[in-house]
Amino acid sequence: MSLSSKEYFIRETGKSIKRNGVMSAASVSTVAVSLLVLGMFLLLFLNTDNLAKYLEGQVEMTVYMEDTATQSELEAMGKKLQGMEGVVKVTEVSKDQAMARFKKRLGDQAGLLKALGKDNPFPASFEIQVDQPSRIRDLVPVVSKMPKVETARFGQEVVEHLFALTKILRIGGAILIIFLCLATLFIIANTIRLTVFARRKEVVIMKYVGATDWFIRWPFLLEGMTLGFGGALIASALVDIVYTSLMSRIYLTLAFFPILPAWPTLLYADLFILACGTFIGALGSYLSLKKFLRV
Amino acid sequence: MLDMTDVSMIYPGNHVALKNINCRIGSGEFVFIVGPSGAGKSTFIKLLFREIVPTTGTILLDGQNIPALTSREIPFMRRKLGIIFQDFRLLPDRTVYDNIAFAMQVIESPHRLIKRRVMNVLDLVGLRRRAYAHPNELSGGEQQRIAIARAIVNRPKVVIADEPTGNLDPETSRDIMGIFQEINDDGTTIIMATHDKEIVDSMSKRVIAIDHGEIVRDELNGVYGYEPEQ
Repeated sequence: MSLSSKEYFIRETGKSIKRNGVMSAASVSTVAVSLLVLGMFLLLFLNTDNLAKYLEGQVEMTVYMEDTATQSELEAMGKKLQGMEGVVKVTEVSKDQAMARFKKRLGDQAGLLKALGKDNPFPASFEIQVDQPSRIRDLVPVVSKMPKVETARFGQEVVEHLFALTKILRIGGAILIIFLCLATLFIIANTIRLTVFARRKEVVIMKYVGATDWFIRWPFLLEGMTLGFGGALIASALVDIVYTSLMSRIYLTLAFFPILPAWPTLLYADLFILACGTFIGALGSYLSLKKFLRV
Repeated sequence: MLDMTDVSMIYPGNHVALKNINCRIGSGEFVFIVGPSGAGKSTFIKLLFREIVPTTGTILLDGQNIPALTSREIPFMRRKLGIIFQDFRLLPDRTVYDNIAFAMQVIESPHRLIKRRVMNVLDLVGLRRRAYAHPNELSGGEQQRIAIARAIVNRPKVVIADEPTGNLDPETSRDIMGIFQEINDDGTTIIMATHDKEIVDSMSKRVIAIDHGEIVRDELNGVYGYEPEQ
């Protein structure tokens, strides 16, 4: 592509956007709204996914030991567990610590425990955290068969519900993002179609004097990309403002909530929105030109 | 230069527009295509620049079979042609200069060459002084001259004109034909479909007459041979 052609494309793109000023502005605004929804949904999706991962990460397995286990057996067991694949952290809870925890949980009613006298019915246990929640399912039967192990348990139902929820969110989120991208594509394709329709005579003349399809396409593609990028720029600015203000409110009321930090989340979201807007702009132009190029 | 062999064109609905056309047009010839309305003249012209594809037959331009070209090859074939229509087909929002330069820009000619060539063809059609006017400020004859200038600015081997004087008065038509003659004198082949009896009879060129989709007459130094239609 020669320099004069590049100049020609840029000049034509500018002229066309100016000529269809109102239509271009309407198109940029509609794209901005559409991408704003897309961006907000993307952040919601990322945060829910993050929350699900966070909750999944909280799931741990507890291994209850038989009362007959000696201190050295417990220590050996602790080492053995620590050496298992995928095990991140092993916390030993002695019989006394278990009793203390229970007392604390009972609070004012801790007096009830006097009925037990000197007996401590709580078993020693190990709390095990793993790198991937899905590992727990495989670990339980292995650990259960180890010597002096009374039982090994984990919050099976919670984990399974979480897995199901995350899966639904991922599929649903992907479908919604695709749907919103298609809506944006439709808006840009329609705007460009109007532009092309207004300039169809020019397109025909270009074809007759021997312009290649790509030479004809470029100014329209650039126009679509500019409209898409313009809309995306507005959308990403709005997404940034809305997200940061929502974040500060959430921190005030739900400080423990694991919301994704503005940096670098918003950078990724903005880049996604800008790339999405520009790409969809180009694609919309390409599709709407197809019919007019058949001369 | 141009060789048509067994070319037939049947439109949907079994409407036969051209039947077994065989003709050869040599380099530098000036050929009128004549015939009554609906005879197949426009179909003949459209086949030459691949606006339509014949149902059967081959059309060779410089040895290249036009109907068999891929969509990527069509633009390069069209660069060998200059096409002129009855309705001029100028872009109303561009100046005369831009309308002509446009034909060179789309084939990615360099800036300097564009300026020089556009001014040259404007001289040839006698409209240099109107270079920065818009088409709606020009008369029909002037607009057709611009269309001719646009068609020849890329120095095509063949100029194809479909009723170029159809919208012009007799005097303007004669001027326009003078320009075509000049272009032809430079060695460019001219193929022109026309209804203009006076012009065909006065120029004494090769005449191919088409009637009911068939070539009924092909004469050097021919005449129109029909009663002009009103």
